[in-house]
Amino acid sequence: MLIDQLELKRAIAGDERALRRLWLRHAPHIDAVVRRLCGDPELAADVSQEVWMQIFRALPSYRGDAQFGTWAHRIAVNRTLNALRKIRRIAKLEVDIEDDSALVEPDTDRTFIAESIEQAMTRLSPGARAVFVLHDIEGYTHGEIGAELGITPGGSKSQLFKARAKLRKLLAHLVDESTSVAGKAHVAPV
Amino acid sequence: MSHLSEDRFDQLVSDERARDGAPLNAWETIARRAREEGLIRENRPERWSAGAPWMRAAAAVLILVGGIAIGRSTIGWPGEPGVSPAATNAARVATATPASFNNPEEAWATLDRASADYQSASAFLAATNSRAGAVMDSAAIYRARLAALEQLMTASETARENAPRDPVINQYYLAALGAREATAQQLGAVRPASLRLKGF
Repeated sequence: MLIDQLELKRAIAGDERALRRLWLRHAPHIDAVVRRLCGDPELAADVSQEVWMQIFRALPSYRGDAQFGTWAHRIAVNRTLNALRKIRRIAKLEVDIEDDSALVEPDTDRTFIAESIEQAMTRLSPGARAVFVLHDIEGYTHGEIGAELGITPGGSKSQLFKARAKLRKLLAHLVDESTSVAGKAHVAPV
Repeated sequence: MSHLSEDRFDQLVSDERARDGAPLNAWETIARRAREEGLIRENRPERWSAGAPWMRAAAAVLILVGGIAIGRSTIGWPGEPGVSPAATNAARVATATPASFNNPEEAWATLDRASADYQSASAFLAATNSRAGAVMDSAAIYRARLAALEQLMTASETARENAPRDPVINQYYLAALGAREATAQQLGAVRPASLRLKGF
């Protein structure tokens, strides 16, 4: 849209209001993917700053051949994965994809009850979380994930399978809740 | 230990996919970093400076002269029969040019008044046009003009980087800037109410 192009030019020129409007419009979605990939809120906030600096720096290279949100989203994913690599949170995934890290059940997992899928995702290994988020939430193909993470598409599929299995286990109590809620709804008042 | 069903799990994933959240940082935090890196520029150089007399003169003259031509062609206001719009505009500009001034203040006052008059007339014509629906495809015309003016802006901005104080370059820049603002305003006036710009 032309108006977006005008806004973009102002942002590139360093106009704070234009930059702020871009951020306001796209931060909810961009920051969501950073948060999901990082798992840890504090780390996510730090990484998000880096992501936005990179988006602002790269604005002059935006050619408009993709939606701005899609373009920014790619930057966010790349930057976040790079940040995670730097702190070696997903290094293990790259060197040992066959590791069953997604299925490891430390003692704390037995008592952990996730109230949401986001909470449950924090229990995944960083690599498994990355695969799950990129595939199931962000819609990447296994080929794309392989390219991003430096693993084979088969490795990505395998990790996704394990991640989903673990998440379903961590969220198993929701079966009982939904069943009991449904059951109560059908009980005739006495 | 039991598992959540595939269907229920897929539903949760779908809900999560649709869920955005609050930004992870306050804008002030982001802005501070951006300032440190020079990505936010506090003082936009000379763009809207009214301090330089030649800038004010160039702005006023170009808004007046260029604006009449742009405004007429944009609004689709009927010209005099048998007379080309360009000739009509040239004649009007010629007759509108004052013969002489007693002092610079008088000239400045005339320019300021003319500039203000132009802006009011332009706004009036844009509003009149949108109500009457005189030009059905005016939005497409405005969009095409806006795109062309964008290219002019880019070219003149590049030129200004090499010659920031050159009056000729700045005249072109101001002309493109004024016309772009006017066109954007007019485009806003013909768009459906739900799509109108709240700010620019």
